Amino acid sequence: MDMEIIRQYLPLYRDALFLTLRIGWYGVFLALAIGLVCAMIIRFRIPVLRTIVKAYVGLFRNTPLLVQLFFIYFALPKIGIRLSAEFCGSLGLGLLGGAYMSETLRSGLESVAKIQEESAESLGMNRYQAFRFVIFPQAVTYSVPGILANVIFLLKETSVFSTISLMDLMFTAKDLIGMYAKTLECLTLLVIFYLIMLLPVSLLGYVLERRLRHAEFGD
Amino acid sequence: MKRITIKRVSAAILSFGLIIVLLAGCGSGSGDPSAPAYRTVDEIKKSGVINIGVFSDKSPFGYVDEYGDYQGYDVYFAYRIGKDLGVDINFVSTEAANRIEYLQTGKVDIILANFTVTPERAEEVDFALPYMNVALGIVSPSDAVIESLDQIGPDDEVIVISGTTAETYLEKNYPEIKLQKYDTYAAAKTAFENRNGVAWANDNTEVIAFAIENEGYVVGIPSLGSQDTIAPAVTKGNESLLYWLNDEIKALGEENFFHKDYEETLLDTYGKDYEDTLVVEGGVVK
Repeated sequence: MDMEIIRQYLPLYRDALFLTLRIGWYGVFLALAIGLVCAMIIRFRIPVLRTIVKAYVGLFRNTPLLVQLFFIYFALPKIGIRLSAEFCGSLGLGLLGGAYMSETLRSGLESVAKIQEESAESLGMNRYQAFRFVIFPQAVTYSVPGILANVIFLLKETSVFSTISLMDLMFTAKDLIGMYAKTLECLTLLVIFYLIMLLPVSLLGYVLERRLRHAEFGD
Repeated sequence: MKRITIKRVSAAILSFGLIIVLLAGCGSGSGDPSAPAYRTVDEIKKSGVINIGVFSDKSPFGYVDEYGDYQGYDVYFAYRIGKDLGVDINFVSTEAANRIEYLQTGKVDIILANFTVTPERAEEVDFALPYMNVALGIVSPSDAVIESLDQIGPDDEVIVISGTTAETYLEKNYPEIKLQKYDTYAAAKTAFENRNGVAWANDNTEVIAFAIENEGYVVGIPSLGSQDTIAPAVTKGNESLLYWLNDEIKALGEENFFHKDYEETLLDTYGKDYEDTLVVEGGVVK
């Protein structure tokens, strides 16, 4: 392994890490927002919207991110919708993640015992108050492991961004290998940088999970 | 709880360390470099199949036609190699950036994917005699033709394909030009049609073909950088296959094979005019 080469490539990987994180986090936040809205629509059984949400979840959970990105980036301009590559990346990630997040949150909401809602109502809370103060905090607790698994999944999915010309970690490695054929160095750096990005998320998730357990009561 | 957290953290640090140690280990050991990743001519003949890496999306040099068969200038040559070796051909579809890798890991015996000979690449693989000439070219839409690299503004982006000579050339000689990189020909082509970049830099054969096949595009810069050649490549050190290929190319020169190849595969695209500029016969560049 050539340390000189590694030193030379480090700034490129650093830039790629920042790009991956930037797009990744926008995508994750968008996914959480979409997921929350969708889960609530399902929970409150809002007509029409409920059907749309189900169709959306079905569509995005059952097509690969690669296909979704291709569609957003290459097909939409044909009908006059032009988006920057970075925006497409975040949007694609957000839409994919939203479908997963909504399912995770929905299952979290469903795992809160029915008696919790009944108890809240018997204390005089209305439906909104029961959701906001009793059901939702517990549901989030239940969902945290799933949400974090989704976050890590989404950050790893950024590796298909090369198709839409984004120099993420994966593409940077492939590109450098293509130009200078320093395979071992490039792939080693790639593994290290993915770990730098994802290990803290895993650890943070673990701490968060422990902390949020305080919201668990009943049963 | 605290104890478990500490356990978790140390497990994570440990796994991180483990991977680094592992990688460092194979760095110094380099996974037994003495074991060859290639097959000799005899081994190929014995197995009855030769693996040849070609493009599947670069018309008219290497592409898959509407019947699902490989076609093109490179592929025509590949069929001849299979015939003269007396073996079946297993075509392996490659991307530009994979070509060196595929040879180094023994996934293919020969790369016949419009592979331009460069000094950097020659350090990693062995090139046989050339069978085609090439330079770089830049194509742009006819309503905004780029005839000189000075016309490219600081915010403009030029489309290139990752792992091609166009990319390396522009990175080295014009680092100030912003490149928009794609990993396949198909993606770059669509992106260019969608006008995601002001121009597309690639082998001039490729951009000339693109401008001929698609209306509304002009090759503003038909020749950029040095005049290079395209040759088959084999895994570094595979002398038996390399010498066989060189003899084959010389022998094919006797029967003007590559002119025939041109007429079968490239004539429809380029017409008669480019025949003598593109074709290299018998491995001798004029």
